[in-house]
Amino acid sequence: MNRTGGNLYHNSTAQWLAYIALFGLLAIIPVVGAEPFQLRTFAGYAVFAMLAVSVSMVWGFGGILSLGQGIPYGLAAYCMGATMQMQFQTPDEPIPSFMLTNELEELPGVWKPFWHTHIGLILALGVPTLIMTVFGILMFQARLAGAFVAIMTLAMLNAFYSMAQDLQPFTAGFNGISPPNAFKAFGVEVDPYSPMMYWLALGVLAVVTFASKYMLQSKFGTIVQASRDDAERVRFLGYSVAYYQVVVFVFGGLIASLAGIVWVMIQQYVSPTALETPFSIYMVVWAAVGGRHSLFGAIVAAIVLNYLQTELADISETWQKAWLLILGGIFVAVVLLLPRGLAGAFEYLIGWIPFGGRSAKPAARPEAG
Amino acid sequence: MGIILELKDLTKAYDTYAVVDHLNLQVNEGELRCLIGPNGAGKTTTMDLITGRQKTTGGQVIFDGRNITGLKEHMIVRRGIGRKFQVPAVFKDLTVRENLEVAFNRNPDPFANMLMMFRRTDKARFDEIVDLIGLGERLGERAGYLSHGETQWLEIGMVLTQNPRLLLMDEPTAGMTEQETHKTSQIFNRLRGSHTLVVVEHDMTFVREIADVISVLHMGKLLAQGTMAEVENDPKVREVYLGAEGISDAT
Repeated sequence: MNRTGGNLYHNSTAQWLAYIALFGLLAIIPVVGAEPFQLRTFAGYAVFAMLAVSVSMVWGFGGILSLGQGIPYGLAAYCMGATMQMQFQTPDEPIPSFMLTNELEELPGVWKPFWHTHIGLILALGVPTLIMTVFGILMFQARLAGAFVAIMTLAMLNAFYSMAQDLQPFTAGFNGISPPNAFKAFGVEVDPYSPMMYWLALGVLAVVTFASKYMLQSKFGTIVQASRDDAERVRFLGYSVAYYQVVVFVFGGLIASLAGIVWVMIQQYVSPTALETPFSIYMVVWAAVGGRHSLFGAIVAAIVLNYLQTELADISETWQKAWLLILGGIFVAVVLLLPRGLAGAFEYLIGWIPFGGRSAKPAARPEAG
Repeated sequence: MGIILELKDLTKAYDTYAVVDHLNLQVNEGELRCLIGPNGAGKTTTMDLITGRQKTTGGQVIFDGRNITGLKEHMIVRRGIGRKFQVPAVFKDLTVRENLEVAFNRNPDPFANMLMMFRRTDKARFDEIVDLIGLGERLGERAGYLSHGETQWLEIGMVLTQNPRLLLMDEPTAGMTEQETHKTSQIFNRLRGSHTLVVVEHDMTFVREIADVISVLHMGKLLAQGTMAEVENDPKVREVYLGAEGISDAT
C-alpha cells in the first residue's frame, strides 16, 4: 500500500499501526488506574481530539478554513442537552424547570421530539448536518474560498451564539441546560465518571479517525486534496469542486456533531459557551499545532494542549490566566518555525531512518499522517 | 471528418469593448489547429469561452453538433473537451502518479470515489500516457519538484488521461528550452489524427512543426486562415505582425 516511496512516515501500513498503537495506549488508561474525576477529564480530551480531527479534515485536507466548527458541535450539544433533559421529565411534569421560570405554560413544539431518546439522537446528528449542507452549498456554489469562508463561518457561528443566548425560554439563555441525570439508552446509564464513558468517547474518536483516514486514502481524499492545491484544475478535469467541498465540509460537521453529543454526555451541561468564537478558534489552533495535514498530529496536539491547560490551572490561578498567553505563544512559534506543525517536524526527523531500500532524504509531503 | 467544434458569432464584451468580437470558427475532427495572433487578440479568452471559464455575451459554442454555451466547466469537460492552461496547473503537493490518478475521471461522484482505493484503474492507458509524456522515472516524485518542462508534460498527460475528443492547449511550450519544445512537438505529432487539438502558440518554429491549419486572430476577429504558407504571405497578417516584416520573425 506504500504508493509513494518516500520515508517510513508515508508508509500507510506504518501509519495504521501508529494509530492503532495510539488508541491502544489511550484505551488502557482506565485499566492502569485513574481516578474517576481524571477519567472524566480524559474523556473530555477525546472530544477535543474529535474537534481537531474535524478541523484537520475540513481545513488541512479540504483547504476550507472554517472558524465555525462550533456550529455543528454546539447544535448537536443543544439537541443532546434537550434529549437528556427530557429523559428526566415525566408526563406529570413535562416542562423543564428553566422554562417554568421563563413563564412557559406548556412544552414548546420544538422540544416535543426530544421526549423520544432515539429521535433526539437522530436530530442531534441530523439538524447540524442539514444546516451545514445548506450553508456549504450556499458558500461553495458561489466559489467562496479562503478568508471569505472564514468570515462567513465566523458570522454564522455568532448568529447561533446570539440565538442560544437570546431564546431564553427554549435554551435557558446563558445559564444553559443542565440535565440532572446521566444519559440512559438501551437500559444502560452512562455514568460520566465511569470507564464506560471514557471508552465510549475514545471509541467514537477512533471511529471518526479511522473513517477520516480511510476517506483520505480513497480517491475521494486525493481529489479533495487536489482541490485544495488547485480548484480550477480539478474543475477542468470534470469534477464538481463545489460538490466535493460540500461533502468534506458536512463530513467535518458530522464529526463535530458527534463531539458535541459526547461532550454533553460527559458534562451533563450545555450552554452558549459551546458556540463561542474563541472555542472554535482553539480547535483550529490545536489542528495547526499538531500539523493540519496530519490527523495523528491533530489528535495528539488537542490532548497535550488541553492536558497542559488543565495541569497549569491546577497549579495556581495565575497560571490559569497565563494559559492564553502560553497557547498564543505556542501557536505563533509553530506558525513561524514549524509551518507543518509537530507532525511535519516528526516527518522530517523520521526521514533520516533508512527505509524501503533507500535512506530517504526527508521529502516533505503533506498527505498522509 | 465532420466539424467537431463550431463558434458562431462568439462574443465577449466588457462594456462596449469586445475582446472577442463575433468570432466564427470551425474545427474539423482529427485536425491540429493552431490559433495565433498578437497579444490581446482574444486567443485565451476564446478558450475560456469554449470551456465555460468565462461567460459569453453573445453567440454560441457548438460542440459535436450540440450547443454547449453557458454550461458549467465540469459539465463541458465531461462532454469531452480537455484543457491545458497557460500557466501550468498541476497539484504540487501530490505525486506525479496521484496527479494522473486524479485526472483519470471515470466516475465524478464523490461518494463513489470514497469506495475507490484506486491503484491502476486502466493500466494500459496509464502506461501509454506515462510513456508519451516521458515521466516514467518520476512517478513517485511530488509534482512541485518537477522542472518547468516536466510540469507542462504532466499537465498534458493529465488532460490526455481523460481521453477528450477535443484538446485545447494554451501555450504548451511557454518557457520551454529548445529541446523541450522539440519533445513537445513530437508528443503533439503522435496525438495527431487520434485527437482533435486546438493550440494557442506564439512560437512560430513550433507552429510550423505541428500545424495543419492556422487561424490568425486579431482584435477578437478571425483575420486569416490557411496553411502556414498561405498565412505567411497574407498581407493583412503581415501588417498586424510587426509591420511588413511578417510573421516569421515574430515570437
